Amino acid sequence: MQESLVGRVLDAAMGCGGSYADIFAEDTLIHSLELQDGKVSQTRQVCLHGAGVRVLKGGATGYAYTMDLRRKALIDAARFAATIGGKEPLSAMPGIDGVDDELLLPCAQPAVSPGHVRELLLQADQMAHDMDARVVRVKAAVATNSRQLFFANTEGVSYTDYRPFTSIVVRVVMDQDSQSQMGYSTRQMQLEPSFVTDEVIRQVVREAVDRTSILFEAVRPEGGEMPVVMAAGASGIFIHEAIGHAFEADFNRLGTSIFSGRLGERICGPDISIVDDGSLAGDAGFLRWDDEGVCNPRTLLVDRGVLNSYMHDRISAAYYGVSPTGNGRRESFRFPPQPRMRCTYMLAGEVPPADIIRSVKKGIYAQTFTNGQVQIGAGDFTFYMKQGYLIEDGKLTRPVRDVNIIGNGPQALGDIGLVGNDLKIDHSAGMCGKGGQSVLVSQGLPTVLVNRLVVG
Amino acid sequence: MMEEDILHEVMRMAQAEGCNDVKIVLSEKTADDITVLSGKVDKMQHATIRSLSLNLFIDGRDGYFYTNRVSLQGMRDFIRKAVEATRMLESDIAQTLPDPARYYRGGGVDLRTADPLLPAVTPQEKTRLALACNQEIAGKHPALISADTRYSDHYSRLWYLVSNGFEGFEQNSSVSLTTICTVDGVGGQHPMDGWGESRICFAGFPWEGISRKGLDRTLRKIGQHPIASGHYQLLVESPVADHLLQPMLAALSGQALQQQMSFLANCQGQQVGSPLLDLVDDPLIPGTRGASYFDYDGVALERRSIFSKGRLCTYFIDTPNSHRLGMPATTQCAHHLIFTPGTDTLDDLLCKAGDAILVTDFNGGNCDPSTGNFSYGIEGFHYKDGICVEPVSGINVTGNMLHLWRHLVGVANDADPWNVDLIPSLLFEDISFGGTAG
Repeated sequence: MQESLVGRVLDAAMGCGGSYADIFAEDTLIHSLELQDGKVSQTRQVCLHGAGVRVLKGGATGYAYTMDLRRKALIDAARFAATIGGKEPLSAMPGIDGVDDELLLPCAQPAVSPGHVRELLLQADQMAHDMDARVVRVKAAVATNSRQLFFANTEGVSYTDYRPFTSIVVRVVMDQDSQSQMGYSTRQMQLEPSFVTDEVIRQVVREAVDRTSILFEAVRPEGGEMPVVMAAGASGIFIHEAIGHAFEADFNRLGTSIFSGRLGERICGPDISIVDDGSLAGDAGFLRWDDEGVCNPRTLLVDRGVLNSYMHDRISAAYYGVSPTGNGRRESFRFPPQPRMRCTYMLAGEVPPADIIRSVKKGIYAQTFTNGQVQIGAGDFTFYMKQGYLIEDGKLTRPVRDVNIIGNGPQALGDIGLVGNDLKIDHSAGMCGKGGQSVLVSQGLPTVLVNRLVVG
Repeated sequence: MMEEDILHEVMRMAQAEGCNDVKIVLSEKTADDITVLSGKVDKMQHATIRSLSLNLFIDGRDGYFYTNRVSLQGMRDFIRKAVEATRMLESDIAQTLPDPARYYRGGGVDLRTADPLLPAVTPQEKTRLALACNQEIAGKHPALISADTRYSDHYSRLWYLVSNGFEGFEQNSSVSLTTICTVDGVGGQHPMDGWGESRICFAGFPWEGISRKGLDRTLRKIGQHPIASGHYQLLVESPVADHLLQPMLAALSGQALQQQMSFLANCQGQQVGSPLLDLVDDPLIPGTRGASYFDYDGVALERRSIFSKGRLCTYFIDTPNSHRLGMPATTQCAHHLIFTPGTDTLDDLLCKAGDAILVTDFNGGNCDPSTGNFSYGIEGFHYKDGICVEPVSGINVTGNMLHLWRHLVGVANDADPWNVDLIPSLLFEDISFGGTAG
């Protein structure tokens, strides 16, 4: 019955001359518990359920979604999406024939017992206070997300998928000499909540306390252009913002990216290779199938300095005459897919990280970040450094804070001087926004020296 | 079943499961989105959304639950599980509903927040509007790479029912049209910018000129580059001026105060900015976007002075944080901010500013909530005595929020009356910019 219903929906979607159609349905349960001021006193649960029908005609998209998975609602959505095909609907358009069946999905279930999460949060609170007497406030939350998905398209591809996601965040406020400082740490994985072990909690709390503690000593460096050493791991935001978005093929198809028309060109030094990887099980960027039925574990974006591939969805892949790269992703059934990153990182080089720091006379060592952003056309990117150090005569000296780092993507890529041998994938980043949609991503980087960026 | 009946039935179910108090919000929304790319329809999207949210209060515990499966079938099971989850929480006497005396009781003038004719407008009419807007600049400039016009609208209705004595209904609509242009720049850059307008009603939507203005704003960005670090006058253009106001407003929230994450703690009644910092929240002006009779808790809204001639007048304190802080409850947040305008135009301020950076957009950055220290990437134009010297990008503006607002020296008269918040262009003196070595 499911196959028959899906077939009828797809038939209705193709009823006005579309060249391709798909249906994406989901049942999602999001659950969070939060501790504040020593009490686990807040909970949120969100249940989302619905299906989106997409029709493509050339590069154009028709899309409609419904939260009602019965036949009539699905056919109505398909008929709206079908109008992008441009032709008058067939008089005997397939669809409702008196049968009121429903697209059935496995029901998303809570991934963990709230009692267990409650104990984890109380443990985090106690640890933070035990670690440092200056801790005056702790806020901690564990969120779990269980997604049951169904996909089918007119090319005969269909799949069901289960995507769990768990995050833990710990934020502390510390007081010293009438000053308050706040810092936090997170872990976010596409795993069941069991990944939050005692050891993970201890690491996250330790990081939150250490990051806050150091703010009392941190100074604001003098602004200007200077060398920046990106620490391994979280500095992957540099790859994500400086070039990752500009490699998403929708921008290139429209000619709006600064990397438009540059496939096959050398864009940086031969010691630099960059990949987008959906194969790292448990990672926030892991995807068995993308959200339009394409399975492709890994895309080599930059091959030893040469721009090798953009990241494609079906629309851009058809435009360029290549296979989709498995980057067609969407936030939920409420959105059509678009090219998005998964886990994007630079492959390791050969230089020991200590040698990279030693090579800088005066500069910044950047460790943790927030608020990355890029202007796709101009290539200007920024990210805000939460934690780092001054480098003076090849040594890390004073901690620094409240610094925004700004540069131009192609220029910064060309200004990479040294690539470390210590690639690390970061699991603290999480959501990336584009076109009103947020999806899970991750990133990574070995220690890298960028010869000049604007710091201020 | 009528929406009100659904609310009352859900209320009965929740109370039967042992809830002391319940807040229910039922929401219905339709939304259309049409994108025209360089003269052709690129995307058509239609959505119908129905959802229900519940706050369950049980013996000092408060849980929040949301579902888009609104049918009463299965609701009893949903509520039973929600009650179980709420009972897992620790009791917190601060988590209560507002004092019923503060609820909106009706009788307000018609705020005209929704266009009753919008649901009848056909997709074809909306598409024609987007196409006409996009066509305005077709072939108008050789540097134009792409022009992306997006029509979007929504029509929303919300029903509220709160067990300690509030029942409310509100509706609103929004229609917007925006064109984003990309042009060929220098050095392989593709500057991108645009313009958009928003209204409550579809009829008479002022589409003419949107794409032309979007193209003009993009062309003027050609050649943007970083400039030398230094101190300049900072003139922030009206469409993005709220970016500098947001950290001030965030510092006024009860949650920020309670968590010791506010650089404006213990400042009520004090001078925290220049006398030109004069801001009210007035949600009761009919026909304006953001107008509302009550907040999400049902508390009646009123005109409220936030900053008066630089003096901080109020905080945004919700009911739980009012209990925790021992401060009177006000409202959760601002709804329709109005910055008292000056008499100067933007050009007047540019002439007065001398050596100034006109900021037309922000690019990343952050403000530390406990200290007010900020650093934001910006783009815009370098002006000297009212003459544009060069387009600028890739530099940071840095400082401290309190220092910044004490150096507010000019306010223009150019706030767009159709914005949710009416913030004009603002001039700050002697502000630090981090750029190239010079």
